[in-house]
Amino acid sequence: MALIPESVQALIDAFSRLPGIGPRTASRLTFFLLKNESDAGEALAEALTKLKSETAFCPECFNIMSAGKERCDICDSNGRDNDVICVVESPMDVIVLEQSGGYFGKYHVLHGALSPIEGINPEDLRMKELFERVEKGGFTEIIVATNPSMEGDATALYIRRKLDRLPIQFSRLARGLPVGGELEYADPNTLLRALSGRQKF
Amino acid sequence: MRLKHLSLTNFRSYARLESEIPDGILLLKGGNAVGKTSILESLFYCATFSTTLAQQDRHLIRFEAESEDPAVARIVVVYDVEGKERKLEIRLILEGAADVRRFRKEILAEGRKTNAQSAIGQFPAVLFLPHMTEIIDGAPGERRRYLNILLSQSIPGYARALSQYSRAVLQRNALLRTLGERGGDPGQLAYWDELLAAHGAFLTVHRAQAIQTLASLAQSALLRLTDGREILSMRYVPALRTFDETFFQDSASSGAAKEAERIAAISSLIRTNLEADRALDIRRGVSTVGPHRDEMRVMTNAVDVGTYGSRGQVRTTLLALKFAEVDWLKDKTGTIPLLLLDETFSELDASRRRELMRLLNGGGQAIVTTTDLINFSADFLGRQTVWEIRGGIMDKNPERVPMDSNSAAGDALT
Repeated sequence: MALIPESVQALIDAFSRLPGIGPRTASRLTFFLLKNESDAGEALAEALTKLKSETAFCPECFNIMSAGKERCDICDSNGRDNDVICVVESPMDVIVLEQSGGYFGKYHVLHGALSPIEGINPEDLRMKELFERVEKGGFTEIIVATNPSMEGDATALYIRRKLDRLPIQFSRLARGLPVGGELEYADPNTLLRALSGRQKF
Repeated sequence: MRLKHLSLTNFRSYARLESEIPDGILLLKGGNAVGKTSILESLFYCATFSTTLAQQDRHLIRFEAESEDPAVARIVVVYDVEGKERKLEIRLILEGAADVRRFRKEILAEGRKTNAQSAIGQFPAVLFLPHMTEIIDGAPGERRRYLNILLSQSIPGYARALSQYSRAVLQRNALLRTLGERGGDPGQLAYWDELLAAHGAFLTVHRAQAIQTLASLAQSALLRLTDGREILSMRYVPALRTFDETFFQDSASSGAAKEAERIAAISSLIRTNLEADRALDIRRGVSTVGPHRDEMRVMTNAVDVGTYGSRGQVRTTLLALKFAEVDWLKDKTGTIPLLLLDETFSELDASRRRELMRLLNGGGQAIVTTTDLINFSADFLGRQTVWEIRGGIMDKNPERVPMDSNSAAGDALT
């Protein structure tokens, strides 16, 4: 005997598959939508349907964009540096870098990082497209902004090895102390990185 | 270091334990399966953040509490280092409905959340368990584990390098299998090789240096334990071709520059080895060279103890290694580690027991478990604290006289 109707259980299961949501939060969200008299449920359903149907990947940098456009706003813009390209793992990374307000070049979104354990090899990422883009010329610097994890490091090394022969400058985002943080509270690993990556002052 | 207070909640057989810990040597007496070793396990957990006795960390949560949601086991130690009071708390948490139980641990140093790699080494301890003789006569993995636990506690960056290295090996092996099954460009291995070489060289260099120092420390401990009859030596056998032992012989020139030079040299050696074995590795689907395959041998009077030693010899040699660990940690961390001995006395002969009591008296704080007091001299017992454990309860004022005080063994030591 099922205590919960199938349709309710189906939504709970769908929510639990999302990152950061456990079975308990999933039930709470489901029962909130069930009980709620406003149109929160309908709005969510509509937004979800549109999410896939009205977005597409930019054919140049593979960032997300509204469907039907030829290129994303950043690739289309005239006001950006055309000789610098920043390689990131996910569209979220583009958003945070844009919010920092300190970068004015182009992007390339790989949609992941190399991880043989999870079966993610170069052909599963937007690598080929990156190499083609860079080989076409025009860039003087590549900023590899993959995550400071082992997989991010391996991905960065892979890109450098593939493009080594081109006359382009490679750089990697610096690692170290968070702004506004206190030295005393930094963990030893971050501190070690910050020390070895210290800058002339 | 001086441990002052231990508090356990839902840990192994303990629902709740709050206890001040006396300075000097504390003897925990009790029958089998009353919870003596659990106390040692809880304290060693504070040093290593991984279980020594259970199969998995989640099994440390008390069985009766395990089905609660969330089920939480807690270890809290309050201790003194150089007159400064410190507190370390560990929470082992199992949560979620029965079919999706998730385990995680939280480590809090001075009440602030931290991670194992940062907190390791703050509470240095040395543990002796009877089955640890495997370090000497068991599989090579036991000896790597021994070195890893010790060096993680004492060398900054070792725990991190080890976890990065192990992850890189897993990634490289996964790629080897993909290449073996589906083919592809073996050049892809290059960047994993680079990571293996960088982290692996750090591990290799620190292991080589540590084994050299440990051997000389253990040698003097074993000489004392055997009245000068047995001379201990140790040999590091890294899984690398053309590894030059003499490279590490001039231990006089230590220094950061020398160390960086050694790491760079070993790093390129690992890379050459990996490149040379590439085809073989792809066929086998595993990485065959590097510190995850290292070996270390222990010899007394130039004879391999692991292969030819008697049971008693293995045990005495292990004890010497444990005392070397104490000295090593004292030197590296600047504080005397807590010594935890489980049933150590029962299989030693009278003269070795006497020497061990002498070593304990001359050392720092120690907690020693025993099923009975028969193996200890009256003089030794007179100076130490003796508590009795019965079914998870500590009796801090037990009968002190050895159970069978007129037995031959008892007399021999008075």
